[in-house]
Formats: sequence, structure tokens, C-alpha cells
Amino acid sequence: MSTTMTPVKARRSTSEKEKATPAWQKTLTSDRAARVAALLSFFLFWVVISALFARVPGPVEVVQRLVDEFSRGEVFGNFGSTLYRFGVGVALATVVGIAVGVIMGLSQLGRAFFESPVLVALSIPAIIWSFLTVMWFGFGDLSPIITTFLTSVPFVIVNVAQGVRGVSRDLRDMSTTYKVPLSRRIKDLVLPAVTGYVAAGIRFAIIIGWNGVLLAEWFGGGGGVGYRARWWYDANRFGGFAAWVVLFVGFIVLLDRFVLDRVIQRAFRWRDASA
Amino acid sequence: MTDQLVRTAPPTDPEAGAKRTAKRRRLRLTGLVILGWVAMFALWEYGSWWFGSRLLPRPLEVFQAGVEIVESGNFVTDFSASVLKTFAGFAVAAAVGAPIGYLMGRYNYWRAFFHDGVTIAGTIPAIVYAVMSLIAFGLSNLGPILAVALVSAPYIALNVAEGIRGVDKSLVTMSEAFGRTPQQIRREVLVPTIVPFVFAAIRMCFAVAWKVEALTEVFGGRNGVGFQIRTEYQLYDIAAVLAWMFLFIVFMLIIERLVLAKSEARLLAWRPQERSSAL
Amino acid sequence: MAVLTIKNLAKTFNVGTPRASRVLDDISFDVRGGTFVSIVGPSGCGKSTLLNIISGVEEHTSGDISLTSDSGGPARMGYVFQDPRLLPWRSVMKNMMYVQNDRSEATVGRCRKYLEMVGLTKNADFFPGQLSGGMQQRVGIARAFAVEPDLLLMDEPFSHLDAITARGLRAQLQDIWAQSKKTVVFVTHDVVEAVELSDRIIVLQPGGRIFEDITIDLPRPRRQTDPTVATLQAEVLGRLETMKAMARTPEAVA
Ligand SMILES: Nc1ncnc2c1ncn2[C@@H]1O[C@H](COP(=O)(O)OP(=O)(O)O)[C@@H](O)[C@H]1O
Ligand SMILES: [Mg+2]
Repeated sequence: MSTTMTPVKARRSTSEKEKATPAWQKTLTSDRAARVAALLSFFLFWVVISALFARVPGPVEVVQRLVDEFSRGEVFGNFGSTLYRFGVGVALATVVGIAVGVIMGLSQLGRAFFESPVLVALSIPAIIWSFLTVMWFGFGDLSPIITTFLTSVPFVIVNVAQGVRGVSRDLRDMSTTYKVPLSRRIKDLVLPAVTGYVAAGIRFAIIIGWNGVLLAEWFGGGGGVGYRARWWYDANRFGGFAAWVVLFVGFIVLLDRFVLDRVIQRAFRWRDASA
Repeated sequence: MTDQLVRTAPPTDPEAGAKRTAKRRRLRLTGLVILGWVAMFALWEYGSWWFGSRLLPRPLEVFQAGVEIVESGNFVTDFSASVLKTFAGFAVAAAVGAPIGYLMGRYNYWRAFFHDGVTIAGTIPAIVYAVMSLIAFGLSNLGPILAVALVSAPYIALNVAEGIRGVDKSLVTMSEAFGRTPQQIRREVLVPTIVPFVFAAIRMCFAVAWKVEALTEVFGGRNGVGFQIRTEYQLYDIAAVLAWMFLFIVFMLIIERLVLAKSEARLLAWRPQERSSAL
Repeated sequence: MAVLTIKNLAKTFNVGTPRASRVLDDISFDVRGGTFVSIVGPSGCGKSTLLNIISGVEEHTSGDISLTSDSGGPARMGYVFQDPRLLPWRSVMKNMMYVQNDRSEATVGRCRKYLEMVGLTKNADFFPGQLSGGMQQRVGIARAFAVEPDLLLMDEPFSHLDAITARGLRAQLQDIWAQSKKTVVFVTHDVVEAVELSDRIIVLQPGGRIFEDITIDLPRPRRQTDPTVATLQAEVLGRLETMKAMARTPEAVA
């Protein structure tokens, strides 16, 4: 045995460390402080960018334009027609998407038939659909509705099909060995397993669908958020464009946070509990 | 019990019946795949009859337009311009998104800091990014690159964060017990864990990214596929618009298969064989 | 000379919250170099927590813990976990090299030597996913010995394995230990296993105190079929029964 005894890890216990951390440090590293810091940095970033690039509108200009648009009464009418077109398009996509998705998930034959059309539909960009529908249906409500539908339906289909196919084979086998009747199997096994995927698919469809409706309105002439934003853009007054972006994004965030998130969380409750 | 054991196998090839059913089944599946394509083209033909071939050109016309584009040879420059801009945007997105995702997955403070911004950025429609990039950079190649980066970065960040949080804690504990340095743990445990997540993000993004790239070029590009699409659209040559689009789709699918799938297969060789394929 | 010294060590999880729970309470003991010490106790009494604190993975709440190495440098530790804990994306050999401090020829040779001792030379280039549970655990043992640790920690390394595989690995462990004479702290809930392997058994009781410290003075190699081993195993088991009975009547334990 050698005589060099080096105490190597003179480790401090947690009670010693706790005493060494000052209170201000704890406050500064809290979650709330982090969120405030994020907001402040975003704002600072915006101000700096708008100062650097002459073409980028700053916060003050955007707020002015917002007030302008409200006082001219342009906001609610345009927002309303966009929402209407978007709602109809996404509702159609949901219904058709669930139907096709269930067929694709349940039967191998159904999947073989629909696979290629869905793949092609997934890869056609929204801009092409908006070009085509504007030519086909003119400047009315129909072209944004169809564009929204066509761009979002493949995403619903893919998600639903995946959900239906993912219903665990083990659980299906278990149900077979216990001779669980079909009705109860659908109610207690397939539906709970699939609803989460349907919700996730719809959410994705919504994100994609906004893009479709805005594009169709941008190239169409029938009013709406996209039309109005383009008006400002063409007039080279980017503050007005930014004002509409702020309005629109604010709306999407609220919808996502307070409606979709809740729905999805409910649908996936079982999964998070076991994780 | 006994008569089950005594039951004899058929005298000929015992699997012949099963093989025949399997073959018939494969034939039927192939038939349905073909039927799917046929139905698509039938619908298209019907549509061009309904709208008139000026508003929706027939498949054959689009094919001819495509052949013309390929024969003239000038698609090479536009394609390479678009692909390069897409990958440049991707590189920027990965360079910004991956570190943010790492911070979000690793530290509670940075999760709280970035979470709201990143999720909001992920829900903003692509057209907003396209126009914003044009406003910032005007008519230049930087616009499409920025748009691709803006669209992809949130996905990459969220996926990386999820990957980091899913890291097997017991492997980190093991490494600490053996006195590994933080760099070693990052390289040997964290990075291999998140590679599949990064690939999932990249593949998901790629489908969206090249569309955004083309979209930005439609709005204000001076070259690339989107620029060609806008030019043809302004000339009301819809057949050429569709031809450019389909050529680009095929091209991008090939790139995805060749580049992404290959490198993914090489990096993930350690994974045990998947029992069933997803989708 | 003591390699490990623990004094008045205590551990409370979730300190300062309503869910606070005291797992270890006033533990003191030291471990001399070259001995094989087992820590035995019913499941949930804090054995794994104690090992994690010794290894530095977990922080202790109060008390002192110190490690010394007779090489003069920092104390090296090896750890064999209950599960194999191998990097699934690295081959067996790369997993062994991962925990080494240098890439020298000597180190590679040492890894090969221990891999051979556990009989896995042929599998050096396999991914962990291609090995059985028992083989993976053997890689874990070889990995821990290959760092030539000043202190080797083992946490119920055989409890996930079937009885026959476990018996084989116990014999293998005795042989390797007899050749290397490492200092080992071995955690188990299995008294029979502890008597077979160790020089000394520290019995933890629920609540996280030391109930008894037993010296096992039997010649090696020990085999389960040996009657003296069996007698001692029965005796230690009897004392544990006493502990359980006392735990049922509070205040009886000083
Ligand atoms: N991270 C933790 N947080 C709270 N309690 C824990 C934690 N880890 C272990 N415990 C508790 O500590 C006690 C001892 O656990 P452990 O050391 O794993 O026991 P064992 O002797 O079986 O290895 C158990 O009651 C367990 O619930
Ligand atoms: Mg334990």
C-alpha cells in the first residue's frame, strides 16, 4: 500500500450547495423570467432589424397601420370572409380525409389503390392549386375553399391512416382471444387509439390550409385577409402588410392555444399518462 | 388430441396452396396500384374536358410541354438554382434550429425561453415567410434561402428538443459513473440519440421546404423553377406551368431518395431490424 | 488502508417539498482496499441510492464521503448496473473503449483481456442489440473491470438473469476478482449470493440505517455445494429474520 492518500472527490452535499446560492439568482433563472426575457429579446430584435433594413417596418409603424385598418372598417369584413372560406375547406377536408384514411388504414387493398394519388396530392404545391382554382372558379369564395381543401386533405388522410394502422396488433390479438364483440372493440380499442391521430392530422391540415386560403386570396380578387395584405404589399407600404400578419398570426396562435391544444391533449390523455 | 397429431400433411409440396394465395394477393395489390394511377389520369382527362384544355391542359399536352423543356436543356440551370437555394436554406435552418433545440431539450430555462416563439413560428403559413423574405431582401437569391430557413428551423428545433428529452437517462448516469466528460457524453450518447429525430425533421421539412422555395421564387425570383412557373403563368401557358411543376416534383423525390435515404440508412445501421414498416 | 470512507451520510429525496422522503439516515462505514464488501437489505431500503452517491451520480444531503486512490491520481470507479447500460449504437469493443481515458495499445489489450475472461472475444464487433441479456451483462462486467478501478461498484448485477446464467456469472466474477483483487462494493438483496462472494456483509434495514456488519471468513474459492458455506448462509438468513421481526416492533432497534 502506498502512502500517498489523495482525497479525490471532496464532494459537497446538497445542503451545503443550497446555502451558497443567492436568492436573486433563483429569481432570474425561473421560467417566468425566461419568458419575459424571450419577449424582450424578440422586441429588441425587431427594432434592430427595422433600423438596419429600411424596408422592414418597425413596431410603431405597424401599430399605426393597425389602427388605420380598424378605423377604416376593413378588418372584420375581410377576416370574416377568410374564416368562412377556410372553415368550409377544412371541414370538407376533415370529413373526406377521415373516410379515406380509415379505408386506407383498415384494408391493404384500399391502401394500394389510394397510395399513389395521395402521394401525388401531397407533393403538389399550394401555389399551383391557387393558380388553377382562380382560373377555374374566378374571384368568388369557391377558389379559396377548393384550394384549402385540396392542400389539406392529403395530410388528414395520411395521419388517420397511420393512426388506424397503429392500433396495436397485440391488443387486437388479445381482444380476439377473449372474444370481445366487434362493437365494443371499435368503441374501446380503435376509436380511442385513433382520435389523437385524427386531431393531430386536423391540426396539421389547419396549418397547411391557412397557407392555401391566403394564397388563393392573394391571387384572386374577392377580398379577404390575403387580398388585403397584397393590396398593401403592391402599394409598397409594408407596414400595412405587417399589420395584417400580426393580426392573423395573433388569431392563429389564440386558436391553436385555446382550442386545438386542449382538444389534442384530451385525445392523447391516455398516452401521456403512461409515458 | 391424438387425431390432431395423426393428421398428415398433403403429399405434394405442403406450401403450394399458401404460395398460390400469396401470389394471387400480390397480383391483386399491383392491380389496385395501377388502378389508382388510371383513376387519377381519368379524373384529370375528365377535368380538362369539363374546364376546357386551356384552363386545364390534358395529360398528354403537359407531357409534351415537359419533353420540350427537357429537350431545350435550359431546365438544368433553373433546377440547380432552386436545389442549391433549398439546401442553403436548410443548412441555415439546421445551424440555427439544432442548437436551439439542444438548449430547449437540455435546460429548463431555455425551454421556457424558446418554447412559445418556436411553436408560434411553426404555425405561421409559408406565404407569410415568403413575402417577408422578399420585403427583407428584395429580388435576390437570399429571399428564397431565408424563407426556407424560416419555415424549417422551428421543426428542426422542436424535433431535436424532443430527441434530447427522450435520451435514455440511465446511459447518461452510466457515463457519469465512469467519469466521462460532458463533451464525451454529448458526442457518444446525446448526438446518436437525436440523429433519428433530426432525420425525421429533415424529411418532414424537405417536402415543405422546396415548395416554399418555389413559392418565394414565384413571388419574386430572378431564376429557378418558381420563376419559370410565374413566367409561364403570365403567358397563360398552363401546360408549361404544370410541366415545370411535375418535373420539379420528380426531381425532388429522386433527390430525397438518393441523398436523404442513403445517408440515413448509413447512420442508423446499429438499429435492430424493424419488424413492420410504417406507412 | 481505507479506499472509501463514509461518515454520517444522509439522503433525503425532494428536500423541502411535501413529498420529502428520507432514504438514508446516518450511514457510517469504511471499506479497506482489496476487499469484497456486500450491502444487503430488502428492496427499497436505499441500496441503489447509496451506490449512486458513492459513484457521484447522486448528491447526498448531508454528511461526508471521501475516496482515496493509492495511485495518487483521481480515484477511478467502475460500475456494473442492474441492466447492462450499453450504448446501442456502438459495438461491444467500442462500448468498452468508451469508458477508457486513453486509446493506447495497452488499453485496447486490457479491454480484449477482460472480454476474453467473460468469453466474448468473438462478439467484439457486435452491436448490443445482437447479444442476449446475459451476454450484455457480461460486457457490462468486463467494461467495469477494464477501467482498472480503485473501487468497483455493482448493483444487483445478476438479478435480471435466469438462475443458471446467474450462477455461471457468479463463478466467473469470483475468478476475475481473485485474479485482480479489486476493491468491490456489491449490492444485492440475495443473502445467499452475498455470503458466497464477500469478505464482509453490511446489512441495511428499511429506513436506511446499518443494522449489522458481518465478517465472512471462509476460504476461497467458495462453491454453493460446500456445506460450510451453506451453514453460514443459513445463519445470516436467520439474523435477517431477526431484523424483520424487530422492525415490526418499533423502538427495538437502537
Ligand atoms: N429519484 C427519486 N426520487 C424520490 N424517491 C426516490 C428516488 N430514487 C429512489 N427513491 C426512493 O428511495 C428508496 C430507496 O430506493 P433504492 O435505493 O432504489 O432502493 P433499493 O434498496 O431497492 O436499491 C425507495 O423508497 C425509492 O422510492
Ligand atoms: Mg436497487
